[in-house]
Amino acid sequence: MSVRVVAADVHKSFGGVHAVRGLSLDLEEGRVVGLIGPNGSGKTTFLGVLSGALKPTSGTVTIDGRRIDRLSADKVVRRGIARTHQIPRPFPEMTVRENVGVAAMFGGQHRDPQDALKEANRVLSLVGLEASADRSAGVLTAQERKRLEFARAIATRAKVLLLDEIFAGLSPDELRAAIGLFQKLQQELGFGALIVEHVMRAVFALSDRVVVIDEGRKIAEGTPLDVVRDSAVIEAYLGVDEAHAPP
Amino acid sequence: MRLPRFSLPQFSPTFYGLGLVLVVLAIIAPALPILSLRFLTNLLIYTALAYSINLITGLTGYVSFGHVVFMGAGGYALGYGASAFNLPPLAGVALGGAAGLVLALGIGIVTLRFRGVYFAISSLVTALAALQIVLVTPVLNDGRGIGLDVEKVGYPARSWFYTIWLIVSAAVVVTYFATHGRIGYGIRAIKSDEDAARALGIDATRLKLYVFMLSGLFAGASGAVFVWSTFGVYPTVVFDLTFSLFMLAMIIVGGMGTNVGPFLGAVIVYVSYWYALTVPSLLGLAFAAIGVIVILVALLIPEGIVGTMRRHFPGLRRILE
Repeated sequence: MSVRVVAADVHKSFGGVHAVRGLSLDLEEGRVVGLIGPNGSGKTTFLGVLSGALKPTSGTVTIDGRRIDRLSADKVVRRGIARTHQIPRPFPEMTVRENVGVAAMFGGQHRDPQDALKEANRVLSLVGLEASADRSAGVLTAQERKRLEFARAIATRAKVLLLDEIFAGLSPDELRAAIGLFQKLQQELGFGALIVEHVMRAVFALSDRVVVIDEGRKIAEGTPLDVVRDSAVIEAYLGVDEAHAPP
Repeated sequence: MRLPRFSLPQFSPTFYGLGLVLVVLAIIAPALPILSLRFLTNLLIYTALAYSINLITGLTGYVSFGHVVFMGAGGYALGYGASAFNLPPLAGVALGGAAGLVLALGIGIVTLRFRGVYFAISSLVTALAALQIVLVTPVLNDGRGIGLDVEKVGYPARSWFYTIWLIVSAAVVVTYFATHGRIGYGIRAIKSDEDAARALGIDATRLKLYVFMLSGLFAGASGAVFVWSTFGVYPTVVFDLTFSLFMLAMIIVGGMGTNVGPFLGAVIVYVSYWYALTVPSLLGLAFAAIGVIVILVALLIPEGIVGTMRRHFPGLRRILE
């Protein structure tokens, strides 16, 4: 049976700021859900709640029916949900291989460091970073860091990945290659994913379903095609006039 | 015929080097004049304290300004045990280690939630608070201190030496295991970026608490040996923040988070301090001398001796740690 993550009526406030106001979402192993919304709409906060980095003010998150919303982030990873950070956070003092090895050692199933570093080699070749394995993670380019962030999430063997803007800042050619790579890996490894993105091409190419949020609330959900036609979505992105203008 | 294969366990050259130095010290100790042995004992007390603070501050980056609190707790455990239960000194040292460990558990559960300067301040406050509490605690003589029975203690210079030698050796071994293998990777990840470490499945809360407890254990045991070898425990001595500063100075000079750094730092700082004490024209300037050394190190070689040598001589990286 495939792993299923369900968020139900999640709220998250910081003092008086209500970043997330009653979001519900289903994620499943093998399925890709796109999460889009204007800047400041609560996407990254919601991802923080799903990953255990933030505790929801109210609402629940479950994995196969078991509550995880009160667990710490490290326990959530070991239950099968891993995240990447919008701004990659490699350990710059370690090599690229060690960065991935740490994920395999603690999040994944390779407790022995030698095994974990071998597993890291395998994961690095999957994402095309094998040539950089011995380099210090501190000297990577921005794009290489994003790949490393992705590689670390994969190395935890999580069933569901939460990917925060991993396609941002790519040239059109790089984007095409990255989308192809993602599709290949997703088919091979079978993980489910929530992709938080501004790059619509990636969202539409990869998502089975798209959820649109604005000001912490869900305003639309459906197939990528349904969503682009939704007037509420156009309104949120472009303003009222455009949405109601005659075609 | 095949010869049976014989191989040493895979430890690092640094570890074997430190081991060799410690073994040599243990062998020559009985032959040393009593004052030299006394000097070595004091040096090893500081070395053990440096390894202790290195476990938390050097390895995880949490600056434990009030680290002297564990030393004081260990010292009081020995003093109280001796006066109230007639505990033999070695049992007092064990009790001192236990006191340091338990106190670190209690303090760590609360203060290790704070990051950066907030942890440093909270640790400083615990040391100041501990002193004030001891000063008004009737069973601890209302802060007048607890003297040991000098006739019963005698002058067991060799027992002092071998006890603290054992504590230093244990601290070296523990430091090795905390910087290698799976645990070493986990701790390095926490020092580098604690939130990212958690996001990869590292139980940072538990790992930090474990090293803090071990740190408390060694500081407590060293504090007990200090009290045993100075015939009494006095609050303004064993809770003196100067000890905290010494410990920090030692790992800053030697190299934070390294295996041999605390040893080098302890030797350099303690020998300079002791030398400054013996020069009449430097009288009263001993602390200033330490301050000058720390400032120079911070300015010129901020990674300490070990860190800087590793940076400039890549060939040393595999052997020096």
